Amino acid sequence: MTALDPATVVAPERDGARLAVLSHRFEAIVRRMSNTLARSGRSGVLNTARDFSCCILTAEGGVLMTGQSPPIHVMGGPDLQAASMNEFYPELHAGDAFLHNSPYHGNTHAADHSILVPVVDADGVHRFTVLAKAHQADCGNSVPTTYMASALDVYEEGALIFPVVRVQKDYEDCADILRMCEMRIRVPHQWRGDYLAILGSARIGERALLQLAEEVGWDELETFSREWLDYSEERMEAAIRALPAGAATASTHHDPFPRVPDGVPLRVSVTVSPEHGMIEVDLRDNPDCVPSGLNLSEASSRTAALIGVFNSIDGTVPHNQGSFRRVRVHLRENCVVGIPRHPASCSVATTNLANRVGNIVQRAMADIGDGMGMAEVGSGMSPSEAVVSGRDHRFGGGPFVNQIFTGPNGGAGGPSTDGWLTMSDLGSGGTLLLDSVEIDELKQPILIHRREIAPDTEGAGRHRGAPGLDVEYGPLGTALEAIYANDGSINPMAGARGGWSGAPSGQFKRDRDGELVRLDICGPAQIDEGERIVARTSGGGGYGDPATRDPLAVARDVREGWVTPARAREVYRVAVDVSGEIDESATRALRR
Amino acid sequence: MASDQLRLSVDIGGTFTDLVVEERGELRLFKSPTDPDDPVQGILDVLAMAADSDGVALAELLGRVESFSHATTRGLNAVLTGNVARTAFLTTAGHPDVLLLREGGRQKPFDFTVPFPDPYVPRRLTFEVPGRITSAGEIREPIDAQAVVEVCAKLRELEVEAVAVCLLWSTIEPAHELAVASVLDRELPGIPYTLSHRLNPSLREYRRASSAAIDASLKPLMSRYIDGLTSRLRAAGLAGRILMVTSVGGVMDAGDAAGAPIVTINSGPSMAPVAGRAYAAAELGADAVIVADAGGTTYDVTLVRRGEIPSTRTAWVGDEGTGHMTGLPSIDVKSVGAGGGSIAWVDSGGLLHVGPQSAGSIPGPACYGRGGTAATVTDAALVLGYLDPTSFSNGTMTLDTDAARAAIGRDIAAPLGLEIVDAAHAILELTTEQMVRAIEEITLQQGIDPARAVMVGGGGAAGINAVAVARRLGSERLVLPAVGAALAAAGALMSDLTAVYSATVPAITDAFDIPRVDEALAGLRERCLAFAERVGGTRDQVTVTLFAEARYPQQIWELEVPLRSHAFGDAAAVARFAEDFHAIHTEILGISDDRSPVEVVSWGARARVPLRGETEILSARAPRSGEATSRRAFVPGMGIVDVPVRPLATLSAGEVLDGPVLLESPFTTIVVADASRVELGPAGSIVITPVREIPAREAAA
Repeated sequence: MTALDPATVVAPERDGARLAVLSHRFEAIVRRMSNTLARSGRSGVLNTARDFSCCILTAEGGVLMTGQSPPIHVMGGPDLQAASMNEFYPELHAGDAFLHNSPYHGNTHAADHSILVPVVDADGVHRFTVLAKAHQADCGNSVPTTYMASALDVYEEGALIFPVVRVQKDYEDCADILRMCEMRIRVPHQWRGDYLAILGSARIGERALLQLAEEVGWDELETFSREWLDYSEERMEAAIRALPAGAATASTHHDPFPRVPDGVPLRVSVTVSPEHGMIEVDLRDNPDCVPSGLNLSEASSRTAALIGVFNSIDGTVPHNQGSFRRVRVHLRENCVVGIPRHPASCSVATTNLANRVGNIVQRAMADIGDGMGMAEVGSGMSPSEAVVSGRDHRFGGGPFVNQIFTGPNGGAGGPSTDGWLTMSDLGSGGTLLLDSVEIDELKQPILIHRREIAPDTEGAGRHRGAPGLDVEYGPLGTALEAIYANDGSINPMAGARGGWSGAPSGQFKRDRDGELVRLDICGPAQIDEGERIVARTSGGGGYGDPATRDPLAVARDVREGWVTPARAREVYRVAVDVSGEIDESATRALRR
Repeated sequence: MASDQLRLSVDIGGTFTDLVVEERGELRLFKSPTDPDDPVQGILDVLAMAADSDGVALAELLGRVESFSHATTRGLNAVLTGNVARTAFLTTAGHPDVLLLREGGRQKPFDFTVPFPDPYVPRRLTFEVPGRITSAGEIREPIDAQAVVEVCAKLRELEVEAVAVCLLWSTIEPAHELAVASVLDRELPGIPYTLSHRLNPSLREYRRASSAAIDASLKPLMSRYIDGLTSRLRAAGLAGRILMVTSVGGVMDAGDAAGAPIVTINSGPSMAPVAGRAYAAAELGADAVIVADAGGTTYDVTLVRRGEIPSTRTAWVGDEGTGHMTGLPSIDVKSVGAGGGSIAWVDSGGLLHVGPQSAGSIPGPACYGRGGTAATVTDAALVLGYLDPTSFSNGTMTLDTDAARAAIGRDIAAPLGLEIVDAAHAILELTTEQMVRAIEEITLQQGIDPARAVMVGGGGAAGINAVAVARRLGSERLVLPAVGAALAAAGALMSDLTAVYSATVPAITDAFDIPRVDEALAGLRERCLAFAERVGGTRDQVTVTLFAEARYPQQIWELEVPLRSHAFGDAAAVARFAEDFHAIHTEILGISDDRSPVEVVSWGARARVPLRGETEILSARAPRSGEATSRRAFVPGMGIVDVPVRPLATLSAGEVLDGPVLLESPFTTIVVADASRVELGPAGSIVITPVREIPAREAAA
């Protein structure tokens, strides 16, 4: 064997070896920021649900490097936030830090508090921006929830809005701002703890970038930024060029909600142009903003569309401004899934409609060609993920309030695999942790009677969706209130390319006689001693015709009790007994 | 210890079985290929090699053995390959999916090629047991013993070979698990089982269930293995005590290990830090240490903080999130797939990558000539002149430099537009970066500043980048022990008999039930003392370390806080404990919340019974061969130049060398490709002071 003569190969302009080393360094910085935030954060939503993100942006505001986080946080928003900072503060100084939670200026929703820190060199030149963002346990809403679906507008929502407000100058706190927060946020001590964690994370990122620059020089870092974004764009372009050309429209419908009695119909048009290496997503043909907290912010509209696209293609393409250049997302002002016009409320902008938008984008992608796109991921905040509150008589009758994460929605089938069982929703990408039954029963006076997968609730398909879960819990020696905001009970999660829908979600109360009583799709629900709340989470949609599913996979599902033999026969066209034995000839006959 | 007695330690790796022989404080190292089908034969082979080298019969050598310590990946491999007993899982009614759901937390949100992982025990072998206990330990619904009898009938029918039992709140009230046990004893005699509250009395049902399931599933296999090992070694003439290495960096009698085989599952990486701690202390008096063990396929990083080796309760077998959590304390180790066999490649966008794919030892790197064609880290080291092709692995292998150059030329140099040597250097540079990443991750989590810690390198591939890694981290000193190629096996000779016990008695400092906690601590202490007696020591030989696993309310990460005394006694002691927690929180996470109460999730005790007398440092006997030469090798900024080569044995105390230099021993080469300073430490290790200045960039394109 002889080596190729390097002289005969056209040498790329970039140094791929140097790029690899520096990308590791940047990744390490983001990881360090995230680690600090995860481990020092105090609220459950931050450290248990891992609802936070960190990223590094270029001085111009391009997303350069992101870390592991719920996808809804980091794709199409940080760049808008940085642009607002650059606009409002043309002169940035070392030691500045800005609090940003305004959904009208690039943030996701008001409950996500972001800290932006400009990284400024010794000559006063703004070189990079670091951003750390975390969902808060409370953000000063008019009622004690950070997801206020029923809010008429931002005034009724009541959240304190910070459109890029300076909270540190010369590395010192602007204490007046912090005192304002402490007067309006319900758990001020916990908020202060989380705020410190977010700020600490951003400062760690800043310091690490300054050290890296000292080692290799700012010029090299700027070269890296440019080349890394170009590299990412080329990877994205190559990924798109390998896709089939086409256009598709997909539609869906969010379930009826308070102040939105008919629910929200949504549609998207997606065009894949391999010849241009571009994907276009058009969300403009949708209703105007609604008098509800369901409206998406610009950040969550764009991000949801981007998640749908990136879920549909080669997962190794980096997610940054370079690859984003190859996706054009068309949004409209004053649109429920577009650019909200103040004072429209965006209180639940990261979950309900965001999941619906991402889902129809990936389903439209699937319609364009086999081997890409995905079915729909289970959606909605089920009572299995409720904020539960009441009085705890084990500890002198003091109040308790906490969000529990006992039962996630099922994931969607895709071209390579079945749905992920603990996916939860599209925006989280399954990154949330699931509560231990023992921890939940220790923290609050509840008993979790049941938590198990619900057979035959998967969206059938060549690759099936994940089934929903059944969760049943109730108060122990007290009464409790459960606040939730579900979806998918009327309009379940659709399948793609001939795949079936997942089973709808459901919420019930089991009364003292054991009878099930249907509950509203949007809480709160009052559960007394002796009663239980029963939640069925959404099953994920299936991908491809179930009659083409590998019979061995069907047999395994039957053997493991995920699917009954009857459903295997009727839907998957596989004759299999309860022990998983396949009747080959009967199956051939069924599939003929 | 009689002066002619020997202490042996054997570490079975994927490629080689390492033997370290200690005689009068001196260590000798032997390596022989691992026999994957019959690992005990591999042990006998390497023992025969040692006997040959002394010119004595094997039985004679073995007759002088005082103790034989053994680390094996047998249990680990069985779990990874699913090659374990057919195991049933008995769980609380309503909760059949404890093992399936795990704890959530998908690792790669955009990678939809990874399927949802199977549970450790399939649902068809999972059975629900009626009966419910509450968090307060009250029996809300009594256990249905008749239902358990019926389950047993099904288990017989299904030919189940082992049973794991994990019921909710069994740690607070074990009555239901004990009731299940008595039915199992009666209905399924001879079938081994594991009760979760006995094996792992800790909160969180998934972790406890996973511990119990893994343990039960290993019992038949590991009993057979340990019986076979013991009888064959005895038949060959072995005298002395047979010990197994545990996941927490200690050893235990082989018979005890057979009873709870899960405790040996992470024994592979647990011994390197024990040795690393000893050498860093002996050479430099350091108690903050980063230990990097570089093997053929993985790079394992462990730590020493204030002389203690930090452990974790969230160790996974397999990948985090998709593997199975052991749930039991385990030395905290960060492993990355950056070994000699890691494959370098260039993606469609022209970016260089190293790993995660590995050529392993078969087919191996291109230069092994065993059919591998991919460009690996070892190939890069060979192309750069860092390895001697004629004397690799003590001369047992000859490396093919042309094959290495061809692989790197084709796969790396051509697509990157680099010269072959520069491409090889780029591979090592990126590998260094990945190693640094692993070290930064674990030191960050344990609150250690890598620049202030001494780095200790071990493993056959350590020498290739250890200096580069230490320099990148800003370490002041790097220690490469003479037994470095078998650091883990050497560590087993320095370890103690250990046990870890825990008690789930939740407490919070603003409502602290002192008598209840003190009672639990007394119980833990008593178990440690009983352990000392059981392993043949006395109560005054045991060192008991009590600790709390504590956090601020609502946090999900616990930090380990050592307790100042055996009991709290009064409120002042509780206040001091809270202060200790705040200080540790600051140390590890950079901030503290002094106004907040501290919540204790569980209490723990570590028992340590020393096996050896006064701890003299174990030094290696240097092979007396070789002479100083030189070879063409790569020095960054200079290219391929003549670089001095020094066999380790030719170094003398007090001699100071400045790099570039290559230091060779039979099993490893230490590459000093810059001006770092090399000395021989008092205990025989190579001690390197990395150069500090920021390197001048090489000629850029």
